[in-house]
Parts: sequence; C-alpha cells; structure tokens
Amino acid sequence: MSHDVNPLVILVASILTNNILLVYFLGMCSFVAVSKKIETAAGLGAAVIFVLTATTPINWLLNHYFLEDNALAWLVGPHLASKVHLGIFALVFFIAVIAGFVQIVELVVERFSPALYYALGIFLPLITVNCAILGGSLFMVEWKFNFMQSIAYGFGAGAGWALAILVMAGLRKRMRISLVPRGLEGMGITMIVTGVMAMAFMAFNGIVPV
Amino acid sequence: MNFLLKLMKKFEPPFKEGRLKRWYPLYEATETFIFEPTVPTPGAPHVRDAMNTKRFMFLVVMGLIPATLWAFYAFGWRPLAVIIVSYAVGGIIEVGFSIARKEEISEGFLVTGLLFGLVMPATVPLWLVAAGVAFGVLFGKEIFGGTGRNPFNPALLGFAFVYLSWPVHMAPSAYIVPTMHWPGYLAKYLHSGNMMVDALSGATPLSMAQVHGYHYALAHYSLTDMFFGFIPGATGEVSAVLLLLGGLFILVTRVANWRIPVGIFIGVGLLSGILYAINPGKYYPPLFHFVAGGLMLGAFFMATDPVSAPDTQGGKWLYGLFCGMNIVVIRQFAPLPEGVMFSILLMNLFAPLFDEIFLRRRARKEKAYA
Repeated sequence: MSHDVNPLVILVASILTNNILLVYFLGMCSFVAVSKKIETAAGLGAAVIFVLTATTPINWLLNHYFLEDNALAWLVGPHLASKVHLGIFALVFFIAVIAGFVQIVELVVERFSPALYYALGIFLPLITVNCAILGGSLFMVEWKFNFMQSIAYGFGAGAGWALAILVMAGLRKRMRISLVPRGLEGMGITMIVTGVMAMAFMAFNGIVPV
Repeated sequence: MNFLLKLMKKFEPPFKEGRLKRWYPLYEATETFIFEPTVPTPGAPHVRDAMNTKRFMFLVVMGLIPATLWAFYAFGWRPLAVIIVSYAVGGIIEVGFSIARKEEISEGFLVTGLLFGLVMPATVPLWLVAAGVAFGVLFGKEIFGGTGRNPFNPALLGFAFVYLSWPVHMAPSAYIVPTMHWPGYLAKYLHSGNMMVDALSGATPLSMAQVHGYHYALAHYSLTDMFFGFIPGATGEVSAVLLLLGGLFILVTRVANWRIPVGIFIGVGLLSGILYAINPGKYYPPLFHFVAGGLMLGAFFMATDPVSAPDTQGGKWLYGLFCGMNIVVIRQFAPLPEGVMFSILLMNLFAPLFDEIFLRRRARKEKAYA
C-alpha cells in the first residue's frame, strides 16, 4: 500500500481483502472469548470500531509530528531534529493513547449500558492490549499512510473485525445443535471455524489493488 | 423379497445385541438401503413428516443424474473414476465416524460425494480428489457431529480447500473441450497423460472472458453451446439445460426451497444488468453469467442444502440475493474467474445472521401483539 491509494479503496480492502482478523489473525483472544453471544459480540465490535477509528489517526498525528525521524523539525529546527530518534518510543506512546480511549469507552458503556458492561467483563478494558488495535496503528506507520488514509484504515479495520466476530457469533449460535467431539469443544472448534472463514474470505483476495 | 427380508433378519441378532454390536450402523444402513424403514427419521434434519433423510437425499441425487450422464458423454469415463474415489474415501470417513458415534450412517454423503466429483475438472489427479473430499467431510461435517449438524456445505469446503491448495491442478489446462461429434468421448478415458493426443484442453468461457474480455469467449463458444453443454468446465457444471431440468425436479418435489435459487438468479440478473448497462464493453451480459460456469449447479444443488442455508423464509431471500450479487462481484472484480462456489461458502457463514434478523423481527411482532 502506498500514498496514492484512494481512502475508499483502503476502506473496502481493510474490511474484505485485508481483514485484520481473517488475514492477519490479530485480535484472536477476545474474538474467541466474546463470540458466544450475538449481543456481546456486537457490543465489543462497536467498541473496537470506535477505538480503532479514533486512535489510528491520533497515533498518525503523534507519529508524524513527534516520533518519526526528523519529525521534530517544526519545533526545534532541522539540525537538532536530525539527531533525535523518538521512534523507539512509538509502542509506548501508541499504547498510552489506546489505553486512554479504552478508559473513555469503559466509562461510557458502564454509564449507558450496564448489562453490556457486565457481559463483556474483563474483555472491555482488555481492548487496550487487543493486538488488532495496536496492529492498526503499527500497520498505518509501516504502510506510510497519510492522514485521510489512516482514518479510512482505522475505521475499515475495526469494521472488518466487528464483521468477523458477528459472523462467528452467528455460527456459534447455530453450532449449538452440533455434536463436537469433546476434545475440540470451545476453543478448538472456534479456531477451525475461523480457518474456514479465512478460506472463504480468500475469494476476495486481490479484488482491490493494494 | 420375503426371502431377502428373512435373510436380513437372520443376521440382525448379533448386530443388535450380540458380539457385533459396534458394527450395528453398517447392518442398519444395508437393511434400510433395501427395505423401507418403518420408523421416521429420529434426528436432525427434517423431522416434519414421513419423508426421511434417505429418500430426501436420493431425490437430490436423482436430480443430478442428467448432468452426471452428460459428464460421461462430454469428458469420457474419467469423471466416473473421480466420483468413485470421492464416494469411497468420503464414505470410509463417514462410516468410521458413524460407528465411533454409535449412530446410523447418514445418506447425506451420497449427495456430498457426488457434488464434489461434479465440481472437479475432468483431468484432476485422483489423489487430489481423495484429499479434497477427505478434508471436506472431516472438517465440514464430521467434527460438527455429522449430517444435519454442520454449518457449512462439506462439498464446497472440500472444493475451496483443493482450489486454494493446488491451483495448478485446477488451472485452465485441466479442462477438456467436449467434442461435437457422436459419441462424444464415451469410449475414452482421458487423463493428463493421454489428453493431448485424444482431446484438447481449453480454458473455460469464464477464464477466457477474464483474460481477453467476454467477446473473445463468445467468439469461441456461442450462448447455445453453453446452454447445452459443449464447453470446457468442471465435469458436472457445463450443461445448463440438464441442470435446469434436474433443478426443477428437486424444486417440484420440494426437496429444495425455491426461494434460494430464485433469489440467486435475481441477484445475478440485477447486478450484472446494472454493470452491463454502465459499460457493455467490459462487463459480461446477464445471459452470459447464467449459462457460463457453475451458476446452475450452485444455485440449485449447493445453495439449497437445507443444513447450511438459513431456516427463515426472509433469511432465504437475503441469502440468495447476496449470494447472486457476490457471484457477479467475484467474477468481474476478483482474480478468480469463477465465484459461485466461494460465494455460497461465504453465504453459509452469514446464514445464521440472516436468520437472526428475521427471528428477532418475529419476536418483536409477537411481543407487540401480546
């Protein structure tokens, strides 16, 4: 991916062809744990969409104006800026931003939907360490997106993750009539079904030129 | 018949409570294969009436017979070998799991094994057929508890597996061009070794259209050729007219629900019509979509699988419509030439969510009345 790709194309790509869960397998832990019920899956999906859409552009600004090589030129002049390499702190700063936003989400959910708050339990604050969300910020740096592209990517990656967990919750509801061998119950069968989902999504591979 | 029944009953005791008890499913399958069982189907699917799973699956197989016979005519005896391998390997897995689960052997596999054979190219290596059907039956059905408990169509899963794992064997060079002259390739057994001598390999109309545009494909094969089945393609998908015939048969006998194929046709017609109106030089005309490739096979025989399709009527409409549009999207925009099988597999994933929409609406309505 590069600078000249239309943000709309990035949006479609991050949902279908480069789905953050089904292609990169990021964010698996909460995906497996919270996909038992459709309601909670939808709630966590919405939370992930919000956090990714907000943190990816903010981290872009942070990266562009403070962390990149020579990023501080606007503040301390080009000579001094070329000697400062704050890039090594990228992970710390990104996580701090994400943690802040997750706190906001937690407060809002607890205030307006206590039922969802208790259903999600530990997995709501754990969005902080959801690798899909940190992955969104790191991919955005890696692929050298501009600001608009990073907004599109943040929203698309979140929507892709939410779509995947909704589909999985639906399938798990249907699988209540299944008789899974005891050794594969729960985690095992969910992993296998995720693999099948990833296989089916490979049909979209290459549908958009990124 | 009486004599046969007596013979069967003579062998029953050791299977029922004797030392051969573990093998009872084998005895039961043989008995009900010959004689009509007096008990209705006890488990999923279809507990509604006297029609049991065995008759149900046989009707689907009957619907597929015309297209299967056409495969023997158009591509020689090789497709028969493919079907035999598919039945044998899948059947062994099915029987093994039935015995391990101490359940009756389900006839669902009669359909899966045949369908899997019919979506393979004629010259596909037999080991690949075995691998594909084994994967499909094992991961598409048995680990979920067997027929009626699986969320995906096992034949489609097997197909997706071999298509993604061994693309070389599913490439255009694996397909044979049928001959127009009587008696077709009826007397021949064509495989990759003797194919270049006795028959020509050729790209399917859809892969031609993808590389050179649909005009190029239409210059090689007319729409009538595609309708009657004189085109290269997977063994069971080429003859649209015979599949239509078999498809109408399973619709009339109510084995398949008409909403799903009709929804798929509307979805394909709608989206391809819009695209064709926008740019008739680039996008395929709607009729081309209908007769080239596996649309008929998929719409009538794969998508209507009652286990993996939605249960609610509204869900079936949505499932069909989205599936149809998805087929056009994949054929026109993705690097895959054909998208029918993948679209249906994708819709299998979404089927429970489609159901959920309509179940919730119904629940809300009932609440409003109460």
